[in-house]
Amino acid sequence: MEAFSLRYEHFWKVAAHSIGWVCIVIGGAVLLAWWLRPEALALSMPMVYAMKFNTALCFVAIGFAFNLAVINGRQAAVALALSAFTGSIAVANLLQHMFAIDFGIDRLLHEPFITIGTDSPGRMTPNAAVCLALVSAAIILTAVMRRNSVARVILGLIVFVIAGSALLGYAIGVESSRNWRPLAQMPLHTAFCFSLLGSGLIFIGARERGYPRSTIAAALGALTYLLLVLLAYMEMLSQDTKLSELLQASGANPRSTLLGIVLLSGALYAGMIIYGFRSAQKYRDVASQLRESEKRLAAIIETAVDGFITIDDRGTVIAVNPACEKIFGYRTAEILQKNVKMLMPAPYRAAHDQYLETYKATRRAGIIGVGREVEGRRKDGSVFPLDLSVAKVELDNQVIYSGIVRDISERKKYEKDLLEANAELEEFSYRTSHDLRSPIASSLGLLSIARDMIETNATEELKPVLGRIETSFRKLDHLIQNIISLTRTKAMEETESRIPIAHVVRETLDRLYYMENAGRLRIDIAIDDDLTILRKASRFQIIIDNLLSNAIKYQDPAKADPEIRIGAAIDDGNLVLTVADNGLGVEPGSEHLLFQMFKRLHPQHSFGSGLGLYILKKSVEQLGGTVSYNRLQEGSLFTVTLPERNHHAH
Amino acid sequence: MRIKSILTVDDDDNDLFICAYTIRKFDPEITTLTATNGAEALAVLRTTTPDAIILDINMPVMNGFEFLEHYAREFSVHAPVVAMLTSSHLNADREKAMGYYFVKSYFEKPLTLTNLRLMAGLLGLPPERPLTPPGSAP
Repeated sequence: MEAFSLRYEHFWKVAAHSIGWVCIVIGGAVLLAWWLRPEALALSMPMVYAMKFNTALCFVAIGFAFNLAVINGRQAAVALALSAFTGSIAVANLLQHMFAIDFGIDRLLHEPFITIGTDSPGRMTPNAAVCLALVSAAIILTAVMRRNSVARVILGLIVFVIAGSALLGYAIGVESSRNWRPLAQMPLHTAFCFSLLGSGLIFIGARERGYPRSTIAAALGALTYLLLVLLAYMEMLSQDTKLSELLQASGANPRSTLLGIVLLSGALYAGMIIYGFRSAQKYRDVASQLRESEKRLAAIIETAVDGFITIDDRGTVIAVNPACEKIFGYRTAEILQKNVKMLMPAPYRAAHDQYLETYKATRRAGIIGVGREVEGRRKDGSVFPLDLSVAKVELDNQVIYSGIVRDISERKKYEKDLLEANAELEEFSYRTSHDLRSPIASSLGLLSIARDMIETNATEELKPVLGRIETSFRKLDHLIQNIISLTRTKAMEETESRIPIAHVVRETLDRLYYMENAGRLRIDIAIDDDLTILRKASRFQIIIDNLLSNAIKYQDPAKADPEIRIGAAIDDGNLVLTVADNGLGVEPGSEHLLFQMFKRLHPQHSFGSGLGLYILKKSVEQLGGTVSYNRLQEGSLFTVTLPERNHHAH
Repeated sequence: MRIKSILTVDDDDNDLFICAYTIRKFDPEITTLTATNGAEALAVLRTTTPDAIILDINMPVMNGFEFLEHYAREFSVHAPVVAMLTSSHLNADREKAMGYYFVKSYFEKPLTLTNLRLMAGLLGLPPERPLTPPGSAP
């Protein structure tokens, strides 16, 4: 449908452009005939010379003016000059006809050697002069207004009717159309040129003016028909007597017979005009609906977030929408006419040709009509997950594939985060249910032993059992405290403040001094007293607590000189906080378990909840930093890195 | 059949104490061996084969499941094992432990005299007979 409409439009354009040139060629040929005076032509086709020299010259001029003003809309001054020239010749001719005077223009440029169909040699016929004047006026109007106008359409209409009726007269051989002197006389080629010019004036630029071409065409048809009927009637009148004799012999009324024929043909003609008009209108409606729906679809595709890629059956990209630029990082021109493989990473890239071949050969669809998750490759080489659905479109003479792609890297990332969070939560609930019950189960066992001891009067053994019950409950309490601080890490609302690091470290050490064996440790603090960082204080405190209590807890009791070295400094825009010890360290191979939930790595020190380093890691991440562990030759080194943010955005 | 020695594997000092006390109460003749994690238990088993093993599942360094795997792979003779679970409501743990043919049953902590009587009863049965773990019915 669209292709047809395009062909139709193209035909119109070519037709419009050829009008001026046809006039120039015909006018030029006649001019040449006047100059060269070929005797053979004058004898065999004297009709050629029915177009006078002046008329031929004017057709050449008006042809150029028409091309400039009506078709191209350029060089209005030249068009004006040319049509003013033709117009004045036409008007002068008319004046000569009306007042029977002679300005001498008829033979001014060329002395005619032959006289056909006119009173004075070389004089333009009056109806040709009228048409020329009207066409000139219409072109002047166009050159000034630079578009089609109602006045121009009316002028064109008159020209077309005069020239068209002359043409019709030739076609049906009605004498009066040519011989109806002086107005109806016009040579065939003159009539042809004027009917072209007339229709050009009516129809070119019709769309911009918004009036319906088909309505005008129907009106023109009707008008020409009326004129034809009029001519036929006049012809009949002139031949009346002859006809009456002829027809009365056969016993028929000639008037009613002719009237019947005229009316019948008129009805047929009107019916055809109406049918043509209706179908043209229907076509126009369908075409405009189609254009509208195309526009609507194009708007959706142009603005879609999803990428639309159309390829042919060899994989060459025919069309992409703007979203593809964003998704793949290429400009549209870089993708068009290339093989779609360029948008695919390694495994797909190599296999794609094979996909297409297999599909063409076997019709076995891998992806067509289904849609699946594949990988795409951006211009910078990065690979990302995308959802792809492909539809096959069978056109008249080829098969194309239309693909819709959606970048799902974001969604995949959220999915992964969510799965991780879920797994962590599951682990948390499993471990808490275990670790919370564990000290209670021990206490219950110990209580029943204590009761047994009381019953058997073994009271001297009771005291250590009570001590065990106490440690069991302390363990439970410690775990619950940890869980509370963990949930606080996750949910706490707090404003940031400047934290004096050296001060916080010293204060924490004072508090932890009562831990088992804390007094044995030599503690070295290398932190500038002025060093501060802008962070949430309670979370920072959790970090310091964990680092220091771990260092004290996991000291090596076998060593004579256990020590902790604490340092902090700004390095490359980051606060780097280090806690090193010469303690028990971590078994090689189990470092990856360090920061995980509920991992306890020291066999003899079961008092840890297994949450300490996990809480440390979560707290550091909450503050936008990272924590790492390094094994030292003796002991461990924990490093916390927090980016310094002087101009904080919160 | 009389039990002569039992290996108890647990990282918690209190739980080891409870096991030792309860076993002594059950039968003072029984020798109680101890290990605080799976790796230590394997080391003990390389030198001697006890009549039974009471195994905790949640331990640092090498937990109960890791121990069972090593024990199955590296040893040809297996002493019967009973698993000590902190909570028998954790289905996955229970099923995983009972997947080994030499794991005869599981008990929920803390260990009691009743548990030991049941265990002694179980050990008198031929090992290929499927066993209904006590406590599996509500």
